[in-house]
Amino acid sequence: MKYRARSFAALSLALMLSACGSSQPETLSILAMDTAMTFSVYGDDADTVLSDASLEVRRLDALLSRTNPESAVTHLNAGDQIQVGEEVCGLIAAAQEYSAATEGAFDITLAPVSTAWGFTTDSYQVPSQEELDALLAHVGMEHIHLTEDTATLDPGTQIDLGAIAKGYASDQLGALFQRSGVERGWVSLGGNVLAWGSRPDGDPWEVGIQDPAHPDESSALVCSLFLQDAFAVTSGSYQRYFEQDGKRYHHILDPKTGAPAESGLVSVTVVADYAPGNGTMCDALSTALFVMGEEDALSFWRSGTYDFELVLVTEDGRVLVTEGLADRYAPAEGSTYVFETVS
Amino acid sequence: MKLTTRELTLCAVLTAMALALSYLESFFPLSLAIPIPGIKLGLANIVTLFALYALGPGQALMILLARCLLGAVFAGNMSALIFSVLGGVTAMVVMILLSRCGRLSIYGVSVGGAAAHSCGQVAAAVLTLGNTAPIYYLPVLLGVSLFTGALTGLIAACLFRALAHTALMKG
Amino acid sequence: MSLKPSPKLHPVGWDLLVVIAVVILAVSVGIGLLGTSESGPLTAVISADGQPEERVVLSSLTEPEERVLHSGGYTLHLVLSADGVEMTTSDCPTQECVHTGKITRSGQSIVCLPARVIVTLEGGAPASGPDVVIG
Repeated sequence: MKYRARSFAALSLALMLSACGSSQPETLSILAMDTAMTFSVYGDDADTVLSDASLEVRRLDALLSRTNPESAVTHLNAGDQIQVGEEVCGLIAAAQEYSAATEGAFDITLAPVSTAWGFTTDSYQVPSQEELDALLAHVGMEHIHLTEDTATLDPGTQIDLGAIAKGYASDQLGALFQRSGVERGWVSLGGNVLAWGSRPDGDPWEVGIQDPAHPDESSALVCSLFLQDAFAVTSGSYQRYFEQDGKRYHHILDPKTGAPAESGLVSVTVVADYAPGNGTMCDALSTALFVMGEEDALSFWRSGTYDFELVLVTEDGRVLVTEGLADRYAPAEGSTYVFETVS
Repeated sequence: MKLTTRELTLCAVLTAMALALSYLESFFPLSLAIPIPGIKLGLANIVTLFALYALGPGQALMILLARCLLGAVFAGNMSALIFSVLGGVTAMVVMILLSRCGRLSIYGVSVGGAAAHSCGQVAAAVLTLGNTAPIYYLPVLLGVSLFTGALTGLIAACLFRALAHTALMKG
Repeated sequence: MSLKPSPKLHPVGWDLLVVIAVVILAVSVGIGLLGTSESGPLTAVISADGQPEERVVLSSLTEPEERVLHSGGYTLHLVLSADGVEMTTSDCPTQECVHTGKITRSGQSIVCLPARVIVTLEGGAPASGPDVVIG
């Protein structure tokens, strides 16, 4: 009887709140993977889903973080002989695939170079060319040796999954939403957005792309995308940078030079429909296409290797939108950018 | 309050009838048409109305409380008790006041009772949940209570007409 | 058994008063709820590392209120006012939270990574801007 009374109380609570639950989201903001993350979920089980989501992200952070002394990636970088497990190996395999597809524009072995610039420690400095050359000798996906559940690195090689981990996390959250029967919601993982279902009014989610010229103003946008069941990931030189002697150095490094990529782009947004693995793909490609620059990025898009759409913001104030997004975007009010649709 | 055997028997029969009506009602779930928790026809209110006029407020209240308690015991969920008691007592108080003023017909009293019942249930929900969200249901519940109140008033009126010339009413 | 006064069994004009009273009650509750909008008043949700989340209903503030947050070894000054929230000063190295300026709309947030502080706005008038911003 006590049990029945409790389950009745729980049921009536759920019923009472269900009408509100469907029109009002539960949101949770956490700090993980060195960024601010927000999850917004609609529905009766929103609370449970949110806490599961936060647990999953923290689990991945502990597994993949380069700064966590106990993570699988830290052990790998220290040269320890440990079984990193299928999940980490699968992610490294995905990184290898995207590296090969983009002819090395995406490279997780840049970690020591990134550290030399101080991007992982926040103690920024400009390394000498000799230093960079020495480090670049250990950069390259061929320095990773992978089996199904073990990985080893050549001496001197270190990996950082940061450019792919948040994408993978968004894939995992998509899977969680699917398992939990979440109807609508979104997650924002520092530059990675998953738009799940539609807004309560049935319209697609409006996803704003940050204006690279005003990175600190949350209301300064380039344009809005209208997305439903889709991933959108932005990589931009404005996201992390430092200035020295009047020159700006940003965090997206070109694997060929070891220096910040000077590709003429300031932000690259990759959009793809929801499908398992596409979150990881968008994350990897946004970095790679930033490094490749406008022309190479667009020919990569035209090649059809992967199914995705692009929004490129150039240094000279143009915004290039690929045709698959042509009817799914709107320039921000009063925007001074010149918009072009690319086919 | 001193009850005659006759009155006591009548109270017992009415309580049983009210319980039966509550059960009968579960076969016509109004909540299927209007998806709001706690929404119902309120057929048991017919008994309350009848008892109020035929027996008086004290007896009517006793029948109501007995019905709520037994209903909760039979259904096996005591947490529903606060909902039915708060709803039922609020309705009872309003109906006593409205019937006392003498100008209203059984319809007016019934509608007032049904509306008060909705308010009482929402108050119970707010109290037990510690959340004001259920108030959002109140306008709809009140609107629906106009119709359910009129319906129970109609049935109670029919009942009085049918019983008007029987021994029951003549004492 | 004593007979109680038999009830009036036909609807009378006075019954209409009850109906009108119920309708007025329903409509006024409805209007009252619409006025507060379904998402509730504009609320700041302040979460600092290792401390319980604090919620402040901004619309109930009559004058700006300053909060001093101690989190992650840094000290941050947050000013809450009826129309928004602003991080006025912080001794964190990045100063990104201060540069964010004043946030005024539901869904916006101020983040200080070094101090592990997040301030987000919820509720208020339905935001006309995007649901989420990437970048």
